[in-house]
Amino acid sequence: MKVDVAIVGAGPAGLIASIELAKNGMKVVVIDEYYRSGGRLLGQLYEDTKSEKKRMWDGKEIANHLMDEALSLGVQILCKTTVWKIESNCLFISNSEIKEIHSKAIILATGAIEKALPIPGWQKVGVIAVGAAQTFTNLHRVKIGNRVLFVGIDPLSISVAMEMKKAGIHVVGMMLPAPSLMTGEKSNPQDVLEQLLMVAHMAPNYFFRIAGKLVKGKIKKLIVNLLKFNLIQIMGIPLYFRKAVTQINGQREVESVSVSNLSTNGELSRIETKLEVDTVCLSGGLLPLVDLTQVANCILVDIPELGGIVPLHNKYLKTSVEGIYVAGNITGIEGAKVAMAQGKLAAFSLLYDFKIVSEQQLQMAFNEVDIARKSSPISFLPNIKIGRKIMEEKWKAYSIPIGEK
Amino acid sequence: MENQNHEKEISFTFNGKRIKGIEGQPIAAALMANGIRAIRTCTVTGEPRGIYCGIGHCYECRATVNQKRNIRTCLKCLEENMDIKSE
Ligand SMILES: Cc1cc2nc3c(=O)[nH]c(=O)nc-3n(C[C@H](O)[C@H](O)[C@H](O)COP(=O)(O)OP(=O)(O)OC[C@H]3O[C@@H](n4cnc5c(N)ncnc54)[C@H](O)[C@@H]3O)c2cc1C
Ligand code: FES
Repeated sequence: MKVDVAIVGAGPAGLIASIELAKNGMKVVVIDEYYRSGGRLLGQLYEDTKSEKKRMWDGKEIANHLMDEALSLGVQILCKTTVWKIESNCLFISNSEIKEIHSKAIILATGAIEKALPIPGWQKVGVIAVGAAQTFTNLHRVKIGNRVLFVGIDPLSISVAMEMKKAGIHVVGMMLPAPSLMTGEKSNPQDVLEQLLMVAHMAPNYFFRIAGKLVKGKIKKLIVNLLKFNLIQIMGIPLYFRKAVTQINGQREVESVSVSNLSTNGELSRIETKLEVDTVCLSGGLLPLVDLTQVANCILVDIPELGGIVPLHNKYLKTSVEGIYVAGNITGIEGAKVAMAQGKLAAFSLLYDFKIVSEQQLQMAFNEVDIARKSSPISFLPNIKIGRKIMEEKWKAYSIPIGEK
Repeated sequence: MENQNHEKEISFTFNGKRIKGIEGQPIAAALMANGIRAIRTCTVTGEPRGIYCGIGHCYECRATVNQKRNIRTCLKCLEENMDIKSE
């Protein structure tokens, strides 16, 4: 198959990019391994606290709308198809009819994956990743359990817990994972609360909004004081910042968890109690999914502020490999609105290089990313803007010897 | 290429038992809706396994679908009369 542009990932970033490119006369194919397009939009359903009328953010509806628009512009969408190799503008795919796609340029928009949170017993039936819980609840609309406990307290797990509660599922509470080499700061009550409060403008709750303001004022002591109260509730869901799950128990399926108290610094008490639950949702945080950039020989850099290892790129989302662009969560963990704006930016960056749009249009697309960031109802990493700055610096250091465009 | 707003109830079998599901939804979701969470048995420990990631990465949800082994039920869409068996 021959196209002008091949896009990997039919999430918000990839879909918007395809629409912008098709509008400008490009022949585009979007490839996705899931059975339908939409990416992580599909599971998203919550109140958009940043929109004027506080409407619902219904990711599935947005995904359907984007898909229809893309298809009507002549974009081809290949679902159930994995891209496993990229070599000089040729994509190798797992499709029974088409094996290779040749294109003049490529946009990689593969999104993010969840970090594992391996606490003992996590392989049992009834333990599921928070992303699966989100999709099963909001997209497939099936009940994943009767007594659900969340392990890992972060913006994503809180929003999924709230949705589950609204769907009528009994959420018994949210706790931290017991400290281990793998869990790191996810097991420290102070770190967890501080991180949460720093992204508290997504505040699902009055308490967080107020506390978030205080953190911005650097009143650290208050955070520690807050932890004296073991119990903070959101929509009736108890958040236990001072309790950690040490083990998941059950014969054939999950029957209970073992729980110990945590000190404010994250030390575990020796006393264990058991809590009966039939389902455990694990939330270990998100990582950019960069496998394909690696395969395509793009330079990768480690920027924890962006969520970990990400492809080196300039502010217009061009990577170190000519003809390969990136957009969305592959560049750093942010909400869907930012991914959409980045999709447009990557498309404009490519169109600029093909001399189809002006520098001014490119700059406008660039500015829209920051606007999207400000209007995001959810954010994941407190220092994302610093991360973006670090990336710009790293790109400068890389590109100056050969001349920045 | 895809459009899934009209839901159609169909029937299929899991380990020989006839149950109902919605056409086009992932098999794992249909099983879950029927209260079935244990999809396969781990060949090493003999313990049951069910969905974990829900997006095709972990391979915990594999089953035999219409005689084809190792099908990820979180990705494979349900069709009328499908024959699904634990591995
Ligand atoms: C579990 C989870 C929950 C999230 N919840 C929210 C939320 O509630 N609100 C929010 O704003 N943000 C959420 N996010 C962040 C989310 O990543 C962004 O909202 C947004 O979806 C990112 O868009 P994207 O286009 O970059 O990637 P995605 O939406 O993740 O889309 C990437 C697509 O690429 C496909 N893909 C990846 N690799 C390949 C390959 N090799 N071959 C073919 N296809 C491939 C995937 O199947 C996927 O469909 C969540 C992220 C995750 C991982
Ligand atoms: S649940 Fe992980 S692959 Fe299906």
